[in-house]
Amino acid sequence: MTQQVPEQLHAVFREIPGIRVQHDSERRVRVTLRADTLPALLELLKGRGGYLHLSAISCVEWPESDEFELVYHLWSYESKMMVSAHIRIPRDPGRFISVYDIHSPAGFFERDIHEMYGVFFDGAPDMGKFILTEWDGPPPMRKDFSTLGYVNDTYEWQPYQPEWLQQAEQKGARVLPQEGPDGPLRKTR
Amino acid sequence: MNQQNFPVQVAPLESCREPGPEERSMLRKVLDRVGQYCQSRSLFVLHYCTGCGAIELPPSMTSRFDLERVGMQPMVTPRQADILLITGYLSVKTLKRVILTYEQMQSPKYVMGFGSCTINGGMYWNSYATVKRLGDYIPVDTYIAGCMPRPEAIQQGFLDLIERIDGGRAVAWKDYYRNYDRYLGHQQHLFGRDWLTPTDVVGEAAHYRLAGDGTLGPHTALLDQYAGYHQAWGVPREQYAELEASS
Repeated sequence: MTQQVPEQLHAVFREIPGIRVQHDSERRVRVTLRADTLPALLELLKGRGGYLHLSAISCVEWPESDEFELVYHLWSYESKMMVSAHIRIPRDPGRFISVYDIHSPAGFFERDIHEMYGVFFDGAPDMGKFILTEWDGPPPMRKDFSTLGYVNDTYEWQPYQPEWLQQAEQKGARVLPQEGPDGPLRKTR
Repeated sequence: MNQQNFPVQVAPLESCREPGPEERSMLRKVLDRVGQYCQSRSLFVLHYCTGCGAIELPPSMTSRFDLERVGMQPMVTPRQADILLITGYLSVKTLKRVILTYEQMQSPKYVMGFGSCTINGGMYWNSYATVKRLGDYIPVDTYIAGCMPRPEAIQQGFLDLIERIDGGRAVAWKDYYRNYDRYLGHQQHLFGRDWLTPTDVVGEAAHYRLAGDGTLGPHTALLDQYAGYHQAWGVPREQYAELEASS
């Protein structure tokens, strides 16, 4: 179901070569475009369409095509519509241009994406560590990073139903895991 | 036990042994009994509310279930609290803060692990950032299982802890001193070899006469090696390595 895009938006989209517009619901427009035309689209949307608010930048990794998809979510307070602009960049080298000069909140989103996916944004004010300040490993949201493998290597598991605990429960005793045969509390008694 | 590396003289094992319960004098037994009873009836709880479990505490504390009936009150600072309540999951970053908080508390201190996350990571079991077993890093007195435990379960957990304190069985805090090397080893495994806290746990262990075979070891030996890090507190790890190389 494709609805009519408002004329104001349509005029903006006409300026961008190779853009594909999907107007799936009343307040949501999805556009797919070439990566190099994205800054122009953001400028035009901000200047002519009233899309002042960059809600978020999301990143999707596509291992089959070896690409990152970046989605820029833009919101207009005047027409109360959301435009999400989808671009794809090659995973290697994984560099793109920062849109910090157009929307300053982009600085945080790009820093976050750099931390989680390893995409580098040229011209961003800070590409330093953001939330994972104590993380030295690879970008953890990448598909080739095995979370489970890392967890198994790093942490030890607590057995849920060891035999000694079952025996203690049958006797009606309340026992801590540390008080089990291998637990530290047992040894110090 | 390697005593040479430490400025604090750790007393030999024989002299710091605690007299067993049956070896105490009658007066001491009575006094201990009264002390334990009083201690178990006046508990101040410090909430470490980084997980979702914090939402179950207001009903437990306030008029609906009213924890003050059993002599418990919330407290806002670690140094005046008896119980450290860890309500839910801990990430590697928050675990650091928990350990710093725990070491500031005065003995005797008790830790309650709240919810499945403190036992085995809970629903975040396969997350790279979430700590799985809290009991590896600080000694835990009681766990409350559940995701989330209801206020009734929380109260049951507190009553269980009260019973343990009353019976003189809530002694996990002593284990931190006796087996400090083991706890520190787990901490260093996550935070790196240069992990240091401002608290001199080895010195405290000697002071409380709780130093045991597991107090010093290969992991506490690393503390000495990185002791200068205290002066360079806040210097990033790479820069510190440069400083160290140049000095």
